[in-house]
Amino acid sequence: MLSYTPGDSLAHRLDPRTKLLAQAAFAAAAFVYTTPRGLAGFTLVAAVFLAAGRLSPVDAIRGYLPALPFLVAGPVVSVVEIRPWSVGVDPGAATGPVLASYRVLLVLAVSAVYLHTTPVRESRAAIQRLVPGRPGRLLGVGVALVFRFLPLLRADLRRVRDASAARVGGEQGLRDRMTVVAAAGIRRALGRADQLALALRARCFAWNPTLPELRFGRADAVGLAVTAGLVGVAVVGVVPV
Amino acid sequence: MATETETVELVGEEVAGNVARAALFAALTGAFAYVSFPNPVSPVPVSLQVLGVFLAGIFLGPVWGGASLTFYLAAGAAGAPVFAGGSAGLGPLAGSTAGFLWSYPIAAALVGAVVHGFDGLADPEAVRTVRLVTAMVAGTAVIYALGTVGFAVVQDVGLVEAFVVSAVAFVPVEAVKIAAAVGIVRSDAAAAA
Repeated sequence: MLSYTPGDSLAHRLDPRTKLLAQAAFAAAAFVYTTPRGLAGFTLVAAVFLAAGRLSPVDAIRGYLPALPFLVAGPVVSVVEIRPWSVGVDPGAATGPVLASYRVLLVLAVSAVYLHTTPVRESRAAIQRLVPGRPGRLLGVGVALVFRFLPLLRADLRRVRDASAARVGGEQGLRDRMTVVAAAGIRRALGRADQLALALRARCFAWNPTLPELRFGRADAVGLAVTAGLVGVAVVGVVPV
Repeated sequence: MATETETVELVGEEVAGNVARAALFAALTGAFAYVSFPNPVSPVPVSLQVLGVFLAGIFLGPVWGGASLTFYLAAGAAGAPVFAGGSAGLGPLAGSTAGFLWSYPIAAALVGAVVHGFDGLADPEAVRTVRLVTAMVAGTAVIYALGTVGFAVVQDVGLVEAFVVSAVAFVPVEAVKIAAAVGIVRSDAAAAA
């Protein structure tokens, strides 16, 4: 699984806002130019991003193993052609879907660099600053709380499943097994939410929290120039000149 | 540190409680991504994520149910391993299953709106089963419609192919999840709400 790894690479030193914007710009540009030549160029850009975070492509893609079957399935189903009385195979039809799958792979690799180089605190601060006003503040708090409570709820659910398995729960029907796990999950989640709300109030939960300082540095000028370049490429591709 | 020291503007009690619940339901939906059951109609196992979407709508209502799944997407984008198979990052939000992910806040808000309407929250236990089921069927339709269109656009395949790959194996199990959600609402878990 991909998670933040401390380091001093160029990507580690970039402001998280630069990295978020660069990823979005990269995805937009890759979606606009899904051609062999375009994707060859974006492969180079993705390689530069990976090098900037000192992350190997293998490790990057390993973080997205669950997505890979879909990337293979897209081209495979497009090759099969079902006619009224027979099933045909048309390899030519796979060209578009193969390019589309490769483009998704590049987008995933680039987002892996972000996960590898950005601590949660900075992500939260970036989200809160990118989304203006109270919605941004609520989103920041919500994101931080999800990070905090995910491991606890996962452990809760694991205990419920172990307990259920120990009592031959595996032999129950699918609906009953889902109900047991989810009902226990809901109980724990609501219980924890009540405690959390009380704790938030007791600690003067405010609209203006203390966030880590974010500052654009010299490296960000380069990062933002690359981002602007990608946005420009995407816009030129969409708007006929 | 960027500290604001001049005024401290406290968040109201009601909002604090709702934020806590929305965040916990978002985390629960993420934890559900790790709980997989064998699929009776396919070798691909099913996770409980969509059940999290239904329950957020049912227990939190249209506004905070939608907010909860927005927290889920934002936390996933920021790196919390809450998407299918424990993946994270902005990538999945532009990947093959992006349509499914973006549909979650909309589906949760829709389920909440059908169950509660827009003037205050009803007690989920007091809501008739027909209404609960209608809400979740509508939510399922939104999730699979957007999911299929998303898959077709991102993978550059036709809508039929997209439906075959990304939805056919999972739609029948949604009926089981809807039944499970009704069971949960009628169980003592709802009493805590």
